Amino acid sequence: MGKTLMKGNEAIGEAAIRAGCLNYFAYPITPQSEVAEYLSRRMPEVGGMFLQGESEVAVSYMLFGASACGARVFTTSSSPGISLMSEGLSYIASAQCPAVFVNIMRGGPGLGGILPSQGDYFQATKGGGHGDYRLLVMAPASVQEAVEMVMLAFPLAEKYRNPVMLLGDGLIGQMMEPVEFPDHLKSEPTNKDKWATNGMDTRGSNKRNLVKSLFLDAGELNEHNLMLKAKYDRMKQEETRYESYNIESDYKTLIVSYGTMSRVCKTAIDNMKDKGIEVGMIRPQTLFPFPEKAVYEAASKESCKIALSIEMSMGQMVEDVERSVKGKLPVRWYGKCGGDVPTPEEVVEAVKSF
Amino acid sequence: MEIDLDGIVIIVGNYGSGKTEVSINLAVNRKRAGLEVRIADLDLVNPYFRSREAKAQLAELGIEVVVPPMQYMQADLPILSPVVAGMIRQPSQLTLLDMGGNDIGANVLAALGDALRGRKIHVFQVVNPFRPFTDTAEGCLKIRNEIEKASRLFINGIIGNANLIDETSVEDIYTGYDFVLELSKRSGLLLKFVTVAAELMPKINIKHFICPVLLIERQLVPPWKKSIPLASKTE
Repeated sequence: MGKTLMKGNEAIGEAAIRAGCLNYFAYPITPQSEVAEYLSRRMPEVGGMFLQGESEVAVSYMLFGASACGARVFTTSSSPGISLMSEGLSYIASAQCPAVFVNIMRGGPGLGGILPSQGDYFQATKGGGHGDYRLLVMAPASVQEAVEMVMLAFPLAEKYRNPVMLLGDGLIGQMMEPVEFPDHLKSEPTNKDKWATNGMDTRGSNKRNLVKSLFLDAGELNEHNLMLKAKYDRMKQEETRYESYNIESDYKTLIVSYGTMSRVCKTAIDNMKDKGIEVGMIRPQTLFPFPEKAVYEAASKESCKIALSIEMSMGQMVEDVERSVKGKLPVRWYGKCGGDVPTPEEVVEAVKSF
Repeated sequence: MEIDLDGIVIIVGNYGSGKTEVSINLAVNRKRAGLEVRIADLDLVNPYFRSREAKAQLAELGIEVVVPPMQYMQADLPILSPVVAGMIRQPSQLTLLDMGGNDIGANVLAALGDALRGRKIHVFQVVNPFRPFTDTAEGCLKIRNEIEKASRLFINGIIGNANLIDETSVEDIYTGYDFVLELSKRSGLLLKFVTVAAELMPKINIKHFICPVLLIERQLVPPWKKSIPLASKTE
């Protein structure tokens, strides 16, 4: 199949189908609504199902229920909608159900605006819902990468029996780029018979499966949390992904930036290189786990004097960068979050000002 | 071959077919040919990448862009400026209406029915065969049908806008041309013109086409790219 020109939102919908997900629950919200629009047409064509919930709270529990039965499920929303889903996310993570959540971020807090933002970094990487859970968070920088990450998200959700979140800003959802789809994902045999409430007659065992997040016994709940923690530690070992840019040069400034913001930074880095100023960049592709080691190594370079977190939020990523550089360098922040994406010129100015 | 076009021109098509980029460049093309041009951004559906984004550049060329009042510029609310009905009643030499996507986007035209009644109008459907749902003639004709029903207007012609943005090849242009030519034959709709991006133009043999070609100087670009400056050159 040749390339198709697609909006990020459409491509995310198509990628889920190619990943073998035929259960989509969602509630429309700008700037993500085209996923629902696209799948309302495509799902029936492939024998799948799109059910619009009465709210995002309901949607998150539709995912929980369907996933508990062993179905491959996903939803898409934007910032305020993800806030509503956060309760469900905590339950799903505790009950260890695989599910894929896509957040096409808009400006916040509150109703905020409908333009691109990266203001949900804390929510995605540090919590959002209650309790000691983590999401595996991936951040695409192009429509093609969004497709690849969606297709990777399902097997990872199943590998860890944990929700995976794709964190894209409004631009990822709205912009159009040529994309190529890999062949349909070969569904790996999952271990769902061991845990899903998918009917005993098909399992060939007398063991009952129970999906739950209630553990009244203190010791049992502690054990449960330790087991979850071990899972998140394993994610840190096995799932950290990042890209580096101009890292071979003798840069004085190291930029850490993700999503479409990193593409603005790339243009800025190219422009500065033309003028003899070298700047390196680490682009986290996973925000949890954060590429601590890569950032540390990049910051350890002899020439490097400062690290800059550049984001469409008010410095939410700074503490992860600080933690990674372990005090080797000062860490500063540059960003905007009203919906105006910083221009390459503004990034150049920011780099020069520090 | 010149794109011979004036009066009231309405640009429709499916989501992401390139209506806005075509409208902006058509406005520039006609302005450079000496016409007085006004363009209305009637995309009430999608809040990103609308013709209002090119407003400043167009204003420099003397092309007026009619958009909702400033405080609603970034809203995803269905605001139809009353100025639009006025500009239809007292049209410029070329009055361009850049609609939103699909039948939903074309719904707005039904609301302008009174103003449009009895006027000579051209309605063109933008087609990019590299987009989902319009990669077959059936897909294009389905959308034509839906837009005609929603707008209560007939589509008079096709604009071929085959592209994969930065990754468009010369071959893609010719393949896309063959596609819209066939679509034109099948539907009986006039092939009004096809588009070619500025960076590809030197590699394209214009004589290959039986219709005019609109040069696309891309204006709707993501923040890490630069739009092509629309210096006021005449062709």
